[in-house]
Amino acid sequence: MGVLVSNIIAIYRKELQSYFASPFTYVITGVFWFISGLFFAAILLGPTGVIAQVAMQDQFGGGAPVDVPSQFLIVYLGVIGSLSLFILPMLSMGLYAEERKRGTLELLATSPITNWAVAVGKLLGVLTFFFTMTVPLLIYEAIAFLSADPPANPVLLLVAHGGLLLLAAAVLSLGMFVSSLTDSTILSAVLTFGLMLMLWVTDLIASGVQGPVGEAIAHLSLLTSYGNLIQGIVETSDLVLFASYIVLGIFLTAQSIELLRYQRS
Amino acid sequence: MKRTPLTFKGLRYLVWLAPMLVIAGLTAGVVAGSWGPVPLVLILIGLAIAIGWLISESRGGFWRRRSTQANTNGLVATLAVVVILGLINLLGVRYSQSFDLTENQLYTLAPQSQQVVSSLDQPVKLLIFAPTPNPTEERLLNNYRRQSDRFSHEYIDPQANPVLAQQVGVSTMGEVYLEVGEGDAVTRRYVQTLTPQQPLSERLISNAIARLGSDRSAKIYITQGHGERILEAGQGGLSEAIARLQDENYVVEPLQLTEDGQIPADADVVIVPGPQQAFLETEVEALETFAQGANGLLLMLDPTTEPGLDSFLDNWGITLSTDALILDPEGQAVGLGPAVPLVTRYGPHPITEQLSGMSYYPVAQPIALTEVPGVEAVPLLLTGDQSQVQPIDDQGQVQLDPDAEEQGSLAVGVAMSRPVQGNGTLSEEPVDLLENGEDGESRLVIIGNSAFATDGLFGQVLNGDVFLNTVAWLSNQEGEVLAIRPKEPTSRRIVLTLGQQATLAIASLVVVPLLAFAIAIALWLKRR
Repeated sequence: MGVLVSNIIAIYRKELQSYFASPFTYVITGVFWFISGLFFAAILLGPTGVIAQVAMQDQFGGGAPVDVPSQFLIVYLGVIGSLSLFILPMLSMGLYAEERKRGTLELLATSPITNWAVAVGKLLGVLTFFFTMTVPLLIYEAIAFLSADPPANPVLLLVAHGGLLLLAAAVLSLGMFVSSLTDSTILSAVLTFGLMLMLWVTDLIASGVQGPVGEAIAHLSLLTSYGNLIQGIVETSDLVLFASYIVLGIFLTAQSIELLRYQRS
Repeated sequence: MKRTPLTFKGLRYLVWLAPMLVIAGLTAGVVAGSWGPVPLVLILIGLAIAIGWLISESRGGFWRRRSTQANTNGLVATLAVVVILGLINLLGVRYSQSFDLTENQLYTLAPQSQQVVSSLDQPVKLLIFAPTPNPTEERLLNNYRRQSDRFSHEYIDPQANPVLAQQVGVSTMGEVYLEVGEGDAVTRRYVQTLTPQQPLSERLISNAIARLGSDRSAKIYITQGHGERILEAGQGGLSEAIARLQDENYVVEPLQLTEDGQIPADADVVIVPGPQQAFLETEVEALETFAQGANGLLLMLDPTTEPGLDSFLDNWGITLSTDALILDPEGQAVGLGPAVPLVTRYGPHPITEQLSGMSYYPVAQPIALTEVPGVEAVPLLLTGDQSQVQPIDDQGQVQLDPDAEEQGSLAVGVAMSRPVQGNGTLSEEPVDLLENGEDGESRLVIIGNSAFATDGLFGQVLNGDVFLNTVAWLSNQEGEVLAIRPKEPTSRRIVLTLGQQATLAIASLVVVPLLAFAIAIALWLKRR
């Protein structure tokens, strides 16, 4: 057990180093930060932003009561969720494709470390990096919550942000599997993006199908589960769904590396 | 015949047709909802190709290869994991627990709703005649379903299923019905009509469920014989309004006060729709006795008429100036004419709390209130700020005098309630009061116009809703079984000065992204 954990940690550290030492990932981070900053400024501060809209409503009187910070949180994280769809495949695309290209995948596949331990370590690494990417966002949201009057409950913020991380883990896990299938990083990113888009719009597909099949398809939707979490509704079925995606991604990755040993070329 | 390697290699890829065809067949079958020849043939061809591929591969010692073993093991393991994950999710959905972390429990059913649903003793089904559910509605309905297995719901597209829609009596998109019983014994109750202003309401659904037990429908009498609006169809008739009341399970009957001399004991609501002639003294007395019990009275009094109810109205603190009407420039602005007050503001009252939008009252008189101890009066329908009261002369002409009256918002309708006076001895049986489950209130709504509820105008904008909600409140049919407040978030503002906002914008748009780019450049330079 101890060996396993130290193996995972070794892979995790190696992954983290490769992320934090690569100028390429910082460029992605910079773009992500710029776009999320843009949305932050537009949604909260801009002329059509939440603050301005509510101020206008207050001026004319009437209207339903509005909880501005949580309103902002729901809209903002909704947008960030969609933005992450573009960013996350770029993070996951190199996970295995890069190893394959450099020819180090055979080393990994035949090393004494089990395949799934490698996969878990890699996933933890990339997830940690994504978490670092979202730290400024967390600060923006915290500013919105801290400057609220009357004071807002920060639990909502933490749950919503946890939802973003769960979504990221699910996407990255599946992206890692896609990455293990090919030695082209671009192809891996495009395929992951397509796969995510499919999972994202399943509720649209499901609405066209009646009966239990439709309900089952609707349950697969990442969008609905993520939407619940950012609104502050924790459903155990949503958590199970996210966990399933993560486990499935890790398992499939391990399987695909396992098969590599016996592949006919 | 010996195959050339090239054709063999080319043919090999045909195997991918197998899963494609099978999936296409399954999809076609699921989407069509039936397993006709097309899906079946697609699946069969797909399976045939797969079998053919297996046979052709097995000739080349396929099964003996180690890669095949590994592939098969992998395939089986993968399938097993997918199935296990699917089952876990099935259980996860079946036994899902929900935690609502929002401050005011925005997404949780009110305790009253939870109780009424969990104590259901027969299956009920909510029929929603709308094509597509939206997430908010789904969440509410799932909350209900979580409380009891006996609650279910179904979305029915009235255009796709016109027979059922006609059976139930659906007239507009978005109507919601509650269905109880099975087979021939099925009964349906109207719940609400979905509009952007009035989404699916927990209050209405829970009340509809709670009322299932008591099947006694409220009885409404409409006075006749004083030149009132007629009950039949036609210009100025009330047939549309009556049809809708009957849809909503009311019993509606005309009341000839002159002949009967008194109001029947089983009356819950009496409507006086625009009398032209004065009521006799005995009739006024009958109304007065009625209004002292736990009953509801709706007076719709047009300007320039003298119904002779002044003494009665005095008791409630109402003064009518029968020779004046409301002029409203807003009515003119939307093309209705100046004598049509347009109401877009509604008072804080159960009748109007769900309303948002406009309703209009062609030729209406203002209702002035003076405070009477014990009477709780809420102005329901308020005109715009620029409306004026203008006097009418004997010929029925408006005497335009811009300076005569000041401008301001006027009340076209007022809702009043007061505790039951005496022992509410309208009926000899005190059981009746208990049966109503009322809290001992006499209720009165007075509206300075009767045309708004007549045929042709009833269906316009919110006119019908105002009328129906009023009757519902008067008959104690709405909101009183379960008083469920609509959930609202805490009002909360973000307080940031302009300087702070500017700093935040600069930090998020410039400083933070530049930081990342700076690190990228530094690392890149270092590598070189």
